[in-house]
Amino acid sequence: MSGDAHSSGGWIGASLLRKEDARHLAGKAMFVADVRLPGLQDIAFVRSQIAHGRIVSMAKPAGAESRVFTIADFPSLHVLEAGPELDAFRQSPYPALASDKVRYVGQAMAACVAPTRALAEDLAELVQVDCSELPAVVDAIAAMSPGSARLFESWADNAYITRTISAGDLSRLKDAPIRLRRKFRMNRQATVSLETRGVVAHWDARLEELVVYLSTQGGHVMRLGLARALGLPENQIRVIAPDVGGGFGGKNRLLPEEIAVCAIALKVGHPVRWIEDRREHLLASVHCRDHHYDLIVSADSEGHLLGIEGDVHIDAGAYALWPTGSFMEASMAAGNLPGPYRIKALSVNTFTVATNKAPMGPYRGVARPGACFAIERLVDEVALHMGIEPYELRKRNLVTREEMPYNTVAGLKLDTGDYHDALDTAAAMVDIPAVRRRQAERKPGEPRIGVGFAVYTEQSGHGVVEWSKRKSRVVPGYESANVRMLPDGSVTIHVGVQNHGQGHETTLAQIAAHELSLDPSQIRIRYGDTATTPFGFGSFASRSIVFAGGAVGTTTRRLAEKIRLIGAHFLQADPKDVRIENGHVISQSGSVAFSEIALAANIRQEMLPQGMDPLLDMTGTYEPTESAGVFSYGTHAVVVEVDEATGGVKILDYAVSEDCGTMINPMIVDGQVQGGISQGIGTGLYEEIPFNAEGQPLATTFADYMMPCATEIPTVRIAHSVTPAKVTEYGVKGVGEGGAIAPPAALANAVADAFRDCKASFNETPLTPRRVWDAVQIARAGAAS
Amino acid sequence: MTRISLHVNGTAVERDVEPRTSLADFLRESCALTATHLGCEHGACGACTVLVDGMIARSCLKFAVMCEGREVVTLEGLADDALSDTIKQAFHESHALQCGFCTPGMLMAARDLLSRNPIPSEDQVRAALAGHICRCTGYSGIVHAIILASRRLIPVE
Ligand code: FES
Ligand code: FES
Repeated sequence: MSGDAHSSGGWIGASLLRKEDARHLAGKAMFVADVRLPGLQDIAFVRSQIAHGRIVSMAKPAGAESRVFTIADFPSLHVLEAGPELDAFRQSPYPALASDKVRYVGQAMAACVAPTRALAEDLAELVQVDCSELPAVVDAIAAMSPGSARLFESWADNAYITRTISAGDLSRLKDAPIRLRRKFRMNRQATVSLETRGVVAHWDARLEELVVYLSTQGGHVMRLGLARALGLPENQIRVIAPDVGGGFGGKNRLLPEEIAVCAIALKVGHPVRWIEDRREHLLASVHCRDHHYDLIVSADSEGHLLGIEGDVHIDAGAYALWPTGSFMEASMAAGNLPGPYRIKALSVNTFTVATNKAPMGPYRGVARPGACFAIERLVDEVALHMGIEPYELRKRNLVTREEMPYNTVAGLKLDTGDYHDALDTAAAMVDIPAVRRRQAERKPGEPRIGVGFAVYTEQSGHGVVEWSKRKSRVVPGYESANVRMLPDGSVTIHVGVQNHGQGHETTLAQIAAHELSLDPSQIRIRYGDTATTPFGFGSFASRSIVFAGGAVGTTTRRLAEKIRLIGAHFLQADPKDVRIENGHVISQSGSVAFSEIALAANIRQEMLPQGMDPLLDMTGTYEPTESAGVFSYGTHAVVVEVDEATGGVKILDYAVSEDCGTMINPMIVDGQVQGGISQGIGTGLYEEIPFNAEGQPLATTFADYMMPCATEIPTVRIAHSVTPAKVTEYGVKGVGEGGAIAPPAALANAVADAFRDCKASFNETPLTPRRVWDAVQIARAGAAS
Repeated sequence: MTRISLHVNGTAVERDVEPRTSLADFLRESCALTATHLGCEHGACGACTVLVDGMIARSCLKFAVMCEGREVVTLEGLADDALSDTIKQAFHESHALQCGFCTPGMLMAARDLLSRNPIPSEDQVRAALAGHICRCTGYSGIVHAIILASRRLIPVE
């Protein structure tokens, strides 16, 4: 495979098979739970059984006092300030172990240490906890009514922050010929990396440092948080993220258990470990989605969308997670409501609300699955109202290629691409006329079918401008790479991003191979260890290929230039007459191998050109030339079958037409698209953590939290077009999240299409059989009365 | 503690275990065989799948003491297994793994299916994987890999 790719024109764009596969296939990967250290003991947490209460007392079991820890055992632990740097964002101090109150079921209250997890859990059962229960706040909208109980007594209401986002001329809207009001809800779920969170920590007495094996998406940033919480200098903390079994956003926040485990390691003098179990994951890891929309869309009589007004409530849970909390959910939800449409007015009140549920964090797509669900459903509702094809209405409103770059009313700058082409391609792939024929020929008693579309954009590679606009506490405006050629000519590249399934060991090697004209097998990509890698922010927000790809590319290019100069010196040629090819510097009369050049640069300085520094070792940072971000985009089209008797939805066909700019490795891009869509289908049809009125979560195992499996997820048909970005290296754009954004919208539109005759509205995810059935009954009852 | 003796990957093993210790914890903690992963510990994800007397089993749902006298094989024990090699190569070529956490269980399920049914249809492959969760890939690479391996295993007439 590699030979083919090379001969067909370089490593960029080659579907090179992954370097990381071999160890996983051999069962030799190392995840945090696989780390073995002498004297290792396990930790189990005592967790709150109630959603909201004041802690009256916690009693350690007699004789086990030294193995049970509460917050009182850590008087010098700091509580991290989290959330955006905005005065209007209220602080919600989140201690590593509960101090005065518990604010959600599952909140860690005490930690127990024992030789095995089972023994630690035995101990945890003996801890006596006495809480006086307070009323639970479980509904984000009711939480904003004046009479609601409050999570934080010092707050005036339950909102972390309330903001109105308003742009464009709103005056035309109230007299618009079409005004439709709809409510949408995308329910709460978990991120569900298959490897749960985990920490192994110990004090290295020789190096005088705390070594923390952490399943994380960004070790450097987590080290900063740990250092501040523990009161240790950063140069005495080493964070190692070995193989990380998925993250999807959920491992990009520092959670209290992780701080507690480190604090315990500093106290007990032997290695300690906490591996989150699945119940803990569903209870108390990052929760996500949970958006409520109440919107009015206005359109003229030809179906030109004019504006969107309304309210967005984000149910953000009990605390803001370090570093940035969940404040971006609301602003991104509002900012993405206009989609890639020529909508000229927007007025949205956003409420980021504290409730007695596990804190909200980022999850693949961050806010956009909700926004896409809302706007794409609205588009279909307008089309239904007008009696035209939803596809046709989209054509009337989508930004055209000629209008690029296009500033949306919400201030997003859509940079490049042909959104109409993506829509047309997806429509052709599912063959709308064929679906319409099948619908017309359906006999009574046969299942209904429907086709649905959703258009999405995926901002990626956004840097300083965008993150400072969001008042982020950490501004991930660059990435770094250290590129080293060792004396034998082999190359090691250390990066600050964190592979957790994306294939960086392969794609970043392809980029370096391109710059050095070397086979990727000669290049090793290393990451996940703060002791060896340059500072970087990690992998999230579809940023790695733009930022780390750019850092590897530009830094390797500089290294290649130095190699060329040394080569020219060796060949006694003018540097402008030599080139790099296949591990050699070549002139008209001869060639010299990288290994000879590297040997000289590292251990035979006298052979270098006069005055040249030794070593082939360079570190560089990179940010795109414009930092507002580059937008991948596409259209999802899905055909579903709905069983009227049960409300069950089955996917018959799923097609995507997408454009993520230049693809470094198309195989990996397809994997991201298929995997993202699988998660989007989970959001759309299956995954949900409901709560009862007391704030008890009702899905805490895979028996009640529905995960899609191979029988539910179809193989998606993918069409690519490539419009290179103008402001990134190689024209790349990010692709990690797009797949997860559009499926809930496309699925709901398809189910609605199946019930066009009764105008049933499907406005809440997941579309469980019950919800589908209910929506149909409501629509029919409405039609009958 | 209860003393058990069994074979793990062909080697006789004798250990004291607590009766409540799962086979998965026994393999991972007592035998240092960490290819067997734990994704749920309640029988729903399949990451912990191993062979017990040649049959696939969820090691999180079995107690180690139930395996007295049995033959347990983990992914580590299939290092020289020709059928597994074909499947692994097909996984590699089909981009059937991303983070790799589900992979050991998926390989076990794939091997079990192909040893019982050498020419499965796509629906049969999907049904065989119905109790295995992969959060990353969306399954299509895995399904593709198993069908590819199946083709390679059947001698061409
Ligand atoms: S860990 Fe055994 S089935 Fe999930
Ligand atoms: S590859 Fe990550 S869970 Fe399957």
